[in-house]
Amino acid sequence: MAKRLKVANPARCIGCYSCMMACARTWYDTISLKNSRIDIQTKGGIETPYAQIVCHACIDPPCMRACPLGALTKRKGGGVNLNEEICDGCGNCIEACIMGAIHLDAEKKAVICKHCGVCPKFCPHDVLEMIEVEDSGEIKVTDTGPVEDTNPVSPTASHKELYGEKESGEEK
Amino acid sequence: MTTEQYAIPGLTNVLYIDLTSQSYHIEERPDLYEKYLGGIGIATNLMLEEYKEGTGPLDPEMPLILSTGPLSGVYPTCTKTVALFRSPLNGELGESYAGGHLAMSMRYSGYETIVIKGASRYPVYVAVHDDKVTFRDASSIWHLSSAIDVGKILREVEPGAGRRSIIRIGPAGEKGITYASVNVDTYRHFGRLGLGTVFGAKKLKALLISGNREIKSPEHKAYRKTVSMLYDTIVKTGLTEKYHNLGTSENILVLNELKGLPTRNLQEASFEGAETISGEVFADKYLIRRVSCAGCPIGCVHIAMLKRQFSKAHEYETLNISYDFELIYALGSNLGVADPEAVLELIDACEKAGVDIISMGVVLAWATEMQQRGKISTQETIGLKLSWGDKASYLRAIELVVQAPNEFYTALGKGVDYASKKYGGEEFAVQLGGLEIPGYHTGLGNTLGLSVSSRHSHLDNAGYAADQAAFNRPIPDEKIVEYIIEEEDRRSVLNCMVACLFARNVYTYENIILALKSIGIERTEEELKELGKDIFRKKHELKKKFGFRFENLTLPKRFFETASTTGMLEEERVRKAIEMYREKRGV
Repeated sequence: MAKRLKVANPARCIGCYSCMMACARTWYDTISLKNSRIDIQTKGGIETPYAQIVCHACIDPPCMRACPLGALTKRKGGGVNLNEEICDGCGNCIEACIMGAIHLDAEKKAVICKHCGVCPKFCPHDVLEMIEVEDSGEIKVTDTGPVEDTNPVSPTASHKELYGEKESGEEK
Repeated sequence: MTTEQYAIPGLTNVLYIDLTSQSYHIEERPDLYEKYLGGIGIATNLMLEEYKEGTGPLDPEMPLILSTGPLSGVYPTCTKTVALFRSPLNGELGESYAGGHLAMSMRYSGYETIVIKGASRYPVYVAVHDDKVTFRDASSIWHLSSAIDVGKILREVEPGAGRRSIIRIGPAGEKGITYASVNVDTYRHFGRLGLGTVFGAKKLKALLISGNREIKSPEHKAYRKTVSMLYDTIVKTGLTEKYHNLGTSENILVLNELKGLPTRNLQEASFEGAETISGEVFADKYLIRRVSCAGCPIGCVHIAMLKRQFSKAHEYETLNISYDFELIYALGSNLGVADPEAVLELIDACEKAGVDIISMGVVLAWATEMQQRGKISTQETIGLKLSWGDKASYLRAIELVVQAPNEFYTALGKGVDYASKKYGGEEFAVQLGGLEIPGYHTGLGNTLGLSVSSRHSHLDNAGYAADQAAFNRPIPDEKIVEYIIEEEDRRSVLNCMVACLFARNVYTYENIILALKSIGIERTEEELKELGKDIFRKKHELKKKFGFRFENLTLPKRFFETASTTGMLEEERVRKAIEMYREKRGV
């Protein structure tokens, strides 16, 4: 089943950067915010809501088209796979991504989301979610039956009740 | 294992900034860091090195020190930075902690500790971007009426959005109000003891730090495992539930119920209006979002929205204001203000002025009682009639304290201890150690704790918690003294890390040892406990140099006139407990 990352509830973000730290430490053996594939940004300090800049898992990714070496190939479920061996750090993909979701690491390799699913596990407010999509990356439409009220899970539940049961974050 | 194997760059460095010559240099101090790890341990030792006997709190030579710890920006909720200075409010140890983005920004800019010395001839702000330090003229933002606006302007002129921290002062710091605060990234503060005044005296309007380094992780697998465990403990257990939920303001109803909530200048210890300024009311009616310090998944910063109509044509302005327990006590119960919107407006006024809200609340409460007792008249107050619950007068009074148009308001701007020595009313000036008290009147533990704490703060030893325990089952005084000592030492270790104290029960000795080990630093529980004791001795040595003597502690009568959570307190009992504390501490 193909999956991709989605910013499901952007307004719930508290700006803790737990997702960024998790992303960076999962895919690099260093500690940083810099190597995170997801970027939490302030727009006017913390007085205004945070912005979450993530790869949109494009169905027809412009970054892939922009890569002159073919280092980026279509990923099942949208977005791209990066062949690091081929990437020479030219930065064309950065230009092509109007989301601003790509940058280079210290080795001059593209830092680009793999939709691996680690960051939602370190989001304490369900801002980030993994959703099921068609292999093409199209949103999957399934018959869900009767629609239920999806208002906040439970206004009286404690944080522990809401999150205590969730599967632990990483990391084998 | 020594710190040589701990590969985080910057762990052993100190950035020295000299405002007089507008220069800077970096020193490596592995000797200090290997022994004291970071935070308060490093800051205290550097202050002992730097302090020249007789230097006043606002003299240019007087340094101010900012320090983070080995876990900062690396583990969840290790988000604090300690500021150490000599307090212009009480002349004693100035020690204050702030969250926001500062610790993470310092970590990723590569500086563990920053020492700022000298004074500029004209207003400046200092910008640290990774290894570059620049000094820029801040004259055009010096007279702004709001500390919030300073951030708005600097955000536009400096790079580093989202990876930086902007700490700045408001008019109170410029004018020398001795309890001026430093606003950190909006909503967080170095609140207590007047760091903002020190900034002002140095003509330092703001300090901006940004960095985006990548840090080596010597034991990456262990590090990832430990982060995961700590994150789960913080987010998925009940250990930090209070802060995930109502936040500190949960305590309004709790302390009111326990009859430990200072009200109307501590003439009472419960407030008939508590129900309308409770954490529950703020959450239900005004809370619009919560935010975090960078690196903390709790999100305890509670932001209220205040919608104000300003014309009959349905025109509104909206203010976003952060609130906490201490603020609601200081500008609510202690001023007899039962209207939650009035509390929010008063908080907002202080936030813009850049002033310590607890001190301001206590000062205004004392002034109100002075006027009611006829000890001062409208002559001193320039016509202002202060009365409990009167928001408009208090808003004006805050302005006047900051503007200091006459002798009386100038005195109010030097704190309640100073003002009461000048105008009388010392017996109801609710300060301990020259610092206006936080919102607890729970009994011996609290009064003793605030008196002996190195910064006269409930956050050093949680004396109120001993009282809460004693409320349920009487505890001998000696046990309360012992509780306070143990808590102080434990918190000193946390303050070396520098972890947020809201996560104190997550960062047990065991977990601190594990967190350190996973980044290559070996410590045993015994070593950490010894570190806590060592820090107490060093801080006491510093306090003595600043002129602190236990013998000089005054205990205003008001503490013994108003019944506390654990009943009436006698001065004699507190004095005896202080003696017991000194004996056990060997000081």
